Amino acid sequence: MGDIKGFMKYAREGPKRKPVELRVLDWKEMYEPISEDKLKAQGARCMDCGVPFCQGNTGCPVVNLIPDWNDLVYRGRWKDALKALHTTNNFPEFTGRLCPAPCEGACVLGINEDPVSIRIIEWNVVDRGFNEGYVEPMPPVINTGKTVAIVGSGPSGMAAAQQLARAGHSVTLFEKSDRIGGLLRYGIPDFKMEKWVIDRRLEQMKAEGVEFKTGVTIGKDITGEQLRAQFDAVGLTMGAEQARELPILGRELKGVHLAMEYLTQQNKRTAGISVTDEPITAKGKRVVIIGGGDTGSDCLGTAHRQGCIEAHQFELLPEPPPTRASSTPWPLWPMQLRTSHAHEEGCDRQWSVSTTKLTGHNGQVTKLHGNRVKFEGGKFTAIPNSDFEMDADLVLLAMGFTGPVKNGLLDSLGVKYDARGAVVADEHFMTNLDGVFAGGDTKRGASLIVWAIAEGRKMAAGIDKYLQTGKSSKKSAS
Amino acid sequence: MAIAMNRLGAKSNTGEGGEDPARFVPLPNGDSKNSYIKQVASARFGVTSHYLVNARELQIKMAQGAKPGEGGQLPGHKVDENIAKFRYATPGVQLISPPPHHDIYSIEDLAQLIFDLKNSNPDAAVSVKLVSEVGVGTIAAGVAKAHADKVLISGDSGGTGASPLSSIKYAGVPWELGLAETHQTLVLNDLRGRIRVETDGQMKTGRDVAIATLLGAEEFGFATAPLIVEGCIMMRKCHLNTCPVGIATQDPALRKKFAGQPEHIVNFFFFVAEELRQIMARLGFRTINEMVGRVDKLKVHKAIDHWKAKGLDLTPLLQTPDVGPEIPRYCVQKQDHGLTDVLDNKLIELCNPALEKKDKVTLDLPIRNVNRTTGTMLSSRVAKQYGLEGLPEDTITIKFSGSAGQSFGAFLSRGITLILEGESNDYLGKGLSGGKIIVFPPKQALYAPEETILIGNTSLYGGTQGEAYCYGMAGERFAVRNSGVRAVVEGTGDHGCEYMTGGVVVVLGQTGRNFAAGMSGGVAFVLNEFDKFQSRCNFGMVELEKVKSADDKKTLHQMITSHFMHTGSRNAKRILDSWDSMLPKFEKVMPVDYKRVLEERKKKKAAASK
Repeated sequence: MGDIKGFMKYAREGPKRKPVELRVLDWKEMYEPISEDKLKAQGARCMDCGVPFCQGNTGCPVVNLIPDWNDLVYRGRWKDALKALHTTNNFPEFTGRLCPAPCEGACVLGINEDPVSIRIIEWNVVDRGFNEGYVEPMPPVINTGKTVAIVGSGPSGMAAAQQLARAGHSVTLFEKSDRIGGLLRYGIPDFKMEKWVIDRRLEQMKAEGVEFKTGVTIGKDITGEQLRAQFDAVGLTMGAEQARELPILGRELKGVHLAMEYLTQQNKRTAGISVTDEPITAKGKRVVIIGGGDTGSDCLGTAHRQGCIEAHQFELLPEPPPTRASSTPWPLWPMQLRTSHAHEEGCDRQWSVSTTKLTGHNGQVTKLHGNRVKFEGGKFTAIPNSDFEMDADLVLLAMGFTGPVKNGLLDSLGVKYDARGAVVADEHFMTNLDGVFAGGDTKRGASLIVWAIAEGRKMAAGIDKYLQTGKSSKKSAS
Repeated sequence: MAIAMNRLGAKSNTGEGGEDPARFVPLPNGDSKNSYIKQVASARFGVTSHYLVNARELQIKMAQGAKPGEGGQLPGHKVDENIAKFRYATPGVQLISPPPHHDIYSIEDLAQLIFDLKNSNPDAAVSVKLVSEVGVGTIAAGVAKAHADKVLISGDSGGTGASPLSSIKYAGVPWELGLAETHQTLVLNDLRGRIRVETDGQMKTGRDVAIATLLGAEEFGFATAPLIVEGCIMMRKCHLNTCPVGIATQDPALRKKFAGQPEHIVNFFFFVAEELRQIMARLGFRTINEMVGRVDKLKVHKAIDHWKAKGLDLTPLLQTPDVGPEIPRYCVQKQDHGLTDVLDNKLIELCNPALEKKDKVTLDLPIRNVNRTTGTMLSSRVAKQYGLEGLPEDTITIKFSGSAGQSFGAFLSRGITLILEGESNDYLGKGLSGGKIIVFPPKQALYAPEETILIGNTSLYGGTQGEAYCYGMAGERFAVRNSGVRAVVEGTGDHGCEYMTGGVVVVLGQTGRNFAAGMSGGVAFVLNEFDKFQSRCNFGMVELEKVKSADDKKTLHQMITSHFMHTGSRNAKRILDSWDSMLPKFEKVMPVDYKRVLEERKKKKAAASK
């Protein structure tokens, strides 16, 4: 900590977003760059706490060495900062752009001031590192001769694959889609993260020896058992893609889509990949997004860029308070109203709204029917006489995910699930099947990218330990 | 915290830094910020008669559990106007807490300090803070015999975030060890009934309190836990003045962020008490007294398999002393402090007109060396009635003839002048709080006063205000930790003006070795007639100058004149008579840091007046 009074001298500052009118015109990342001086000042705001809660159990899941690299940035030691950053986080460029930053929610300065801009510092450390050529492949010095299959190439699978490859194992990363990245690739819109960011990291992984197999659906093209028989260990990092459904009248109408169907299509279009399915677009439409979370916000930003005429976002829960709710005191992740970039771009945001029915003409949705609800004692009850109906041409369901897709690989393997439908694993991330591991959303249920990376790393450690003791899933595969 | 503790009927502790006298007055809503326990530590910061008389318990801090044997220091940048005021120091100049008490070199000395404090406030209990260690039981037995009302066994795991890491990690012993030994030793020697036992060192829960009780304590100290309750987030920046939650900082902007409320602490202690009550109910105890020392209710946890715990035998801790039922196992009686025989009882009676009506009182009395701590209880009456201001100068003038015992004029309040024709034992004018002490040899004395030690060791230790004149030499450690007394003496023993932070000392003759060691403030003028002073002064923190400024000349001349007037010193007369030739022979001992700060302030003042 170079400047012990930095937190008293400088105010919190992050990069500015481009003006709304400009940024909705394209699919590019929407942030202006931030100057080095400003970043150093932000680094100086870190207090080098005796007990750094940013790294605590409500802070950073990958336990980033936040006070260390804040200080290094303040001192202008960017290369050292990058080194410190990479010791705990394989992909700071993803978390730097996309993480909601639980570290900042737990930042000690956040008790009575604005927290340190940790995420922005992380982002700039790694992007600068790439620009300056500090990011180099770290190929293994030995080859163990062991083989590992990682199923699912989201951030969790990528992190596991990179860690295992660096440890000297031969890793094959399977992806059912045509490109590596999972939800990072086709779930996150380009205006939040352009996809060359993934590609440049894949270059490094390739050089480190990770083999990518895209367009392969495990459980269909290759069965789970075949995979177990072929590889010494299998890691399941296939995410939690089972979307929460809205079982109401009219769900089957045209113009009613799951958020991921919608976002994937646009991401492919942006990437210049032809879309063969029936196109879904908000252009010239009245859009209603059901679900008030981050996915909903992504749909909203996408709809704006596609040229919707109006946009509404409905959330079932009541409106959260503008500042940290008393139910989530520091250092917990604060429950509070968050206004995303997409909301700035324009939106009719409503809370405590339940959608009861969708109706339409000729199989195409035209109207949404709903009512207002009260949330008491964990239950929603309709407020009498609050029914309403409104015009809608495109209804997007962004209500979260219920867990990993069981039908297919998971069921056929015979892994155990917990009460919430996620795959059960032990402290070394191994499932009930010998040599079959699980991590990320598959094991946790839908969560943050940073959790996916943390779990991927831990799963890799579990696999590495398993392989080091001479075990192999081949032996127990039938 | 003090408000919360006063609401609870518990005891808050000032720590060693003194206390703002404004806190002694209850708040309009009935709350009080006055700390029940006032600490007297080695540096004696702000230990005045007024401070002492407003305590309900006086605690002698022998050492700190987390860093036993180490002193402390407050860096200059943390000494702001407020702190400097209550510690009688200069803002911006660092303050050193020496490791030892300069008036305690034996258990008898400790007994003397306990007696002094008891005299300074007869209504307050006196406690002694010891540190958990092997053999602490023996010391505690000595403390009990020295008539302390309470002994505190402090454990290793507390301490502030400002302590050096090496001390936090590697110094001290858990309170459990020291407490068990203390309790057993006290019971075996039939002393437990005379003294209460307190323990501290990361007490956090009702379970901690229960274990401490079963091991032999009836009072319990908390610090870290209530601090956390008030918002401390363990920043470990206490020494940097940048505490972001406004606890360990003097910065007003940061202090504004402090969000703690007394209710938080009150609530916390209710929870602790409730947990303790539940444990007591399970064990079948109705009162803490029943529970004290019941080690038979403690069992060693079997499941501890740490490699360091291997071969650890805790049975000595869980021993019940083999004594009959007539031996008390908790405090059942009050100590006999022997205050009834003190000369001050007579003085108070005779000085009643002054105490009641501020009438002038002049007395002439004999004194013997069994008359210890003379003038202290009288001072406590003055401080109680008239506060820090005391009485107008020389309202009470008492002339004694004979040999005074130890601690003559300790904590003497303003308005009292003690004249001693004779000589005195150690600790004369200890903690002098505005009073005046004059010592000169008997008229018929045949010795040369300039070469004879007339007052014992460690005179004026921790004095804050007042004057002292001695026509004779002082013993060792003259004016140690002085922070405001103006004194003139004919010569000193070794270590004169050690750790001094304020005041003016004039030495009209030779000094011993190591003069001005650790002296961070105040000024000393030493007559260097034989050119020996350079080799006797410790230049670690001071430098020598000649007396040049008009202010200095005036001060020096005035003090020597007063000295002559009060004591009739022939030496003083000689110097005054040939002032112009003598003045260049004086060395001004000036602490380097102190000088820098004074000059900065002068400049600031000058700039402000422009």
